[in-house]
Amino acid sequence: MATVDAPLIVAAPPPPRSVRRSRTLRKFALGVAGILGFLLTWQLLPTLGIVDPRYFPAATTTLAELGQQMRDLEFWRNVGRTMTAWGIGLVIATVLAVVLGTVIGLVPFLRRATHTTVEFLRPIPSVALIPLAILLFGLRIESALVIIVYASFWQVFIQVLYGVADVDTVARDTARSFGLSRGSRIVNLVFPTALPYLMTGLRLAAAVALILAITAEMFIGNPGLGREIVFAQSAGDWPAVYALVIVTGVLGLIINLVFRAIERRSLAWHQSVRGEEVL
Amino acid sequence: MKKSLVTLGVLAVAALALSGCTDSGADPASTATSTGDAGDAGELTKVRVAALPIAETGALWAAIDEGIFEEHGLEIEVVPSQGGANAIPALLSGDIQFAIGQPFGPIRADQQDLGVVIVGNYANSLPDETDVNAVVALGDSGIMRPADLAGKKVSVNTIGAAGDLTIRKAVQDDGGDPSTIEFVEVAFPDVPAQLEAGTMDAAWAPDPFRAMIVGDGGVSVVQPYQATIPGLSVLTNITTQTLMDEDPDLVTAYSEAMAEALDWAAGNEDAVRAAIATNLDIPEEAAAGITLPTFTWDLAGAGIEDLGALAVEFAYIEAEPDYDRLLQQQ
Repeated sequence: MATVDAPLIVAAPPPPRSVRRSRTLRKFALGVAGILGFLLTWQLLPTLGIVDPRYFPAATTTLAELGQQMRDLEFWRNVGRTMTAWGIGLVIATVLAVVLGTVIGLVPFLRRATHTTVEFLRPIPSVALIPLAILLFGLRIESALVIIVYASFWQVFIQVLYGVADVDTVARDTARSFGLSRGSRIVNLVFPTALPYLMTGLRLAAAVALILAITAEMFIGNPGLGREIVFAQSAGDWPAVYALVIVTGVLGLIINLVFRAIERRSLAWHQSVRGEEVL
Repeated sequence: MKKSLVTLGVLAVAALALSGCTDSGADPASTATSTGDAGDAGELTKVRVAALPIAETGALWAAIDEGIFEEHGLEIEVVPSQGGANAIPALLSGDIQFAIGQPFGPIRADQQDLGVVIVGNYANSLPDETDVNAVVALGDSGIMRPADLAGKKVSVNTIGAAGDLTIRKAVQDDGGDPSTIEFVEVAFPDVPAQLEAGTMDAAWAPDPFRAMIVGDGGVSVVQPYQATIPGLSVLTNITTQTLMDEDPDLVTAYSEAMAEALDWAAGNEDAVRAAIATNLDIPEEAAAGITLPTFTWDLAGAGIEDLGALAVEFAYIEAEPDYDRLLQQQ
C-alpha cells in the first residue's frame, strides 16, 4: 500500500559492487586477450613462413628492436620533435578555427558569403599542399605546420560553425527578452551550446594533426618519427620500421584517450556524454 | 609463447632500468664543427645542402667529418630531402642553398625557366664492369636480356626520369618495343620484397638491393646507364641563378670545397664506406659490398647533353634545355 509522500519514480539501485568489478575485470581480460591474440598471430605469420620473415619481422624481433629504440635518447628526442610539431599545429589551428568559426557563425551574412569557398577548400587533401608549403618555407618545420594546421583547422572550424548556429530558439528569445547584452549572450548561451561541438572538433583535429605531423616528416623531411621511418626504410631495416610504426600508433591511442578524458570532464553536464570502448 | 613475451617484457624493462641510455644522435664528429663558438676558427658560413639518404651521399658525410668544408670557411648542414622532387622547390624558396640530385630534375626545371643551375658534377655511373645500378629480375622470370622487358612491368623509383628513359632506350637498342613496357613506381628499399611478391616483373635498383636480388639467384638484365650513356652522371650539384647573382663568393667557396671533397672521396673509399655505414645505419659488411660511383666535380663527360637529347627523342621533354644556362661549371 503506497503512501502519498512516496516518490513516484523509483531509481533502479546501482548494481552491487562485486558485479561491477567483475564486469570491469572481464572487459580488461578481453582486451588483454585481444592484444595477446594479435601478437600471437603476428608471431606465427613469419615463423610459419606464411610471409617472408625478412620483410615482415616477427613480433619478438620487432618488440626487441622497440626496446633498443627506447633506450636511445635520440628516439625520445624524435618523439618530442613529432609531438612539438603536433602541439604547435593543433594550437594554431584551434585558435584560428574558434575565432573565425565564432565570428562567421554568428553573422548570417558572412556565413552565406563564405559557404561556397569553405566547401571548396575543405576537401583539398592537406598533403597536396606539400609542394606549396616547401616553396613557401623550404624543408623546415614551418612547412610541416602549414599542412598540419590546414588539415586540423577544418575539423574544428566546421564544428564551431555549426555549434554557434545551434542555439535553441526559445533560449535565444528568452535571453533577448531578459535584455542580456551581446557579450553575456555569447558567454551564457552560445558558448555552452557550442562547447560539445568544439570538443568533438578538437578530438578529431588532435588525431588528424598527428597523422599529418608524421606524414610531413616522411615527405618534407623535418626531424621526427616520420623521418626516422623513412630512414629505416632506406636502410632496409624492417624491424625498426615496424617498431616506429607501433610507436606512432601508441601515440595516436594516447592522444585519443587524453582528449576523450578532456571531453568527458568538460562536458560532464551534457546529456551526450556516455562511455565508449577504447581498447 | 606468452611466457617468452612476458620474459621479453621483463628483460626490456630490466635493460631499460639497468643499462645506461645510448644516444645515436650524439655527433661523434662534433669536435670539428662545434669549436666555432670559441671564435678562433673564424666565422663559418652556414650552408644548407639537400641530399638523399642514400649510399652516394657517403662522400659528402665523410668529407664533412674530414673537415674539408671547414677549411673553406663553410659549415654544411645536410638536409635529408625525400626524393629529388622536394629539393628544387626548397632551393627556389631560398631555404637551402644547394642540392645534390639527379641531373634530370634540373633538365625539367629548365623547361619551366625556373633559374635552376648545375654548378658541378657529384658522381658518375661506371662506364664498364659493374655499374652503380641495374635492372634485375628473378631467376625464373625468363627475362634474360633488355628486349625481354617489352610488354613487362618494370619498376623505377621515380617515373619520368633518367631510370625509365635509359631503360626504354636500352630495350629499343636490343630490338624490343619500349612503348609496351609498363613502368610502376617502387622505392628502392621495397624492390626485393615487391619483386618476390610479383608486383612487377623486373626492377631498376642500386646496391645494396641489386646485390641482394642477384645474390638470391636473380638476373642482372641490363645496366641501363652503361648501355645507353656510359658514365652518365648519377648526381649533380644544383643551385639557383639567383644565389649565383646575389652571393657569388658563397658559390665559389662551396664549389672549391666540393671539388676538393669529391677528389678526396674518390681516393678514400674506406672513409666513404664507413660514413655510409654510420649515417645509413647499415652493417659494415653491407656497406663494404656497395658499388660506389666515380666521385668528381667535373661535368665534362657526365653525359647530361646526351640525356637531354634522349629525353627529347622519347618525348619526355618538348625541347632540349638551354645548356649554357643550365650547365655552369664552376
